[in-house]
Amino acid sequence: MSLLGFFQWCEQSGIGDTIRRSSWLFPVIEAIHLLGLGVIGGAVLTVDLRLLGLGLRRQPAAQLARDAQPWLVGSLLLMLITGSLLFLSEAIKCYYHEAFWFKMASLFLALVFTFTIQRKVIMAGETRVRPVWSKVVALVSILLWSGVGIGGRWIGFS
Amino acid sequence: MQIRLLAFLCCLVLAICYQATARTAAPTWGNAGRQTHVVSTVLLQTPAPQGIGGSLLAFFSRLGDSSWSVGLHESRYAYDLIESVHVWTLCLFFGLAVMFDLRLLGWTMRSVPVSEVARRLLPWTVVGFVVMVISGTLLFTAIPLRSYQNIFFRTKMIMLLLAGLNVWIFHSGVYRRVTTWDVASVPPRAARVAGALSLVLWVCIVLSGRMIAYNWFDCDRQPQRPIINFMTSCVPNQSEEH
Repeated sequence: MSLLGFFQWCEQSGIGDTIRRSSWLFPVIEAIHLLGLGVIGGAVLTVDLRLLGLGLRRQPAAQLARDAQPWLVGSLLLMLITGSLLFLSEAIKCYYHEAFWFKMASLFLALVFTFTIQRKVIMAGETRVRPVWSKVVALVSILLWSGVGIGGRWIGFS
Repeated sequence: MQIRLLAFLCCLVLAICYQATARTAAPTWGNAGRQTHVVSTVLLQTPAPQGIGGSLLAFFSRLGDSSWSVGLHESRYAYDLIESVHVWTLCLFFGLAVMFDLRLLGWTMRSVPVSEVARRLLPWTVVGFVVMVISGTLLFTAIPLRSYQNIFFRTKMIMLLLAGLNVWIFHSGVYRRVTTWDVASVPPRAARVAGALSLVLWVCIVLSGRMIAYNWFDCDRQPQRPIINFMTSCVPNQSEEH
């Protein structure tokens, strides 16, 4: 099956059809999706502001990352579920929308970056990582997650 | 300090509104696009519209005819860009406010003193709030009358007031004694209640904010239940004539 074929199959799925036919399902799922985005923002920024030396400077970054982890992962799961539902209802539109591909690329990079490079830098602790690298990692993380959020918002603009 | 900042923000919003109404629209632009034009002409002929807050209708109708408003909603990218800023800043403001509320509930950062979270993270929420108010005011200015009559917008404004009240009660109440419970992994009941209230209110504010975009209860979609028309200051008989 081609990629477009897969997207067409998603569009024609029963779930997608149900969401499209309802006048309120899409808005409600979208609003929950937005809440998830906000919580991800809080979890990511708590850690990234610390790495930038602007947030909770007295706390070890590793401890903050561990504290924020359940909220990051939890809201990510919420985002994936609600996002998939939204996608099923308008898969063909997404296929032809640059913002959708931009968002997916940002999401992939953000996930890989957060759970590999950033995690390594944080867990290595302050003594073994030059401060400038912590800051670079935090900036890259903020940029990638911003790409996900803003790309997502632009899927809604025609 | 924070009270003064809030007062300053209110003045800023009023100044923007005044600025927008003081200018007259360029005659060639006209009034089209997202505005519910039908309702605005009807209301201008009606001296005393009924429902909640009817007296402001003429004011926002005039705001919608201003060059600022027309420029914002007819621009190809301005509206979308401002809305993107509004969403990005939501992550900063709402995200960090949620993290603080979760700390108050004892659900995250339990080893970090509450006063430290407040001192180091709340200034960022103030920055976020200022940007939210400015970008939100611009979004409102782009579609003033329709937003003002929107049931979700009104719900959002009321809940914003309640959230502000909650902040004030928290900071002038249990937070004054923060030194006695600063390092408690689960703060006292009053602080947890404030955190839970704040969490619920901000979640509802985000939800209703997102719903402003939908026109289920808009004034130009009749018939609506009388209670809906009352809550949106809508005068249905006159708008149905068009």
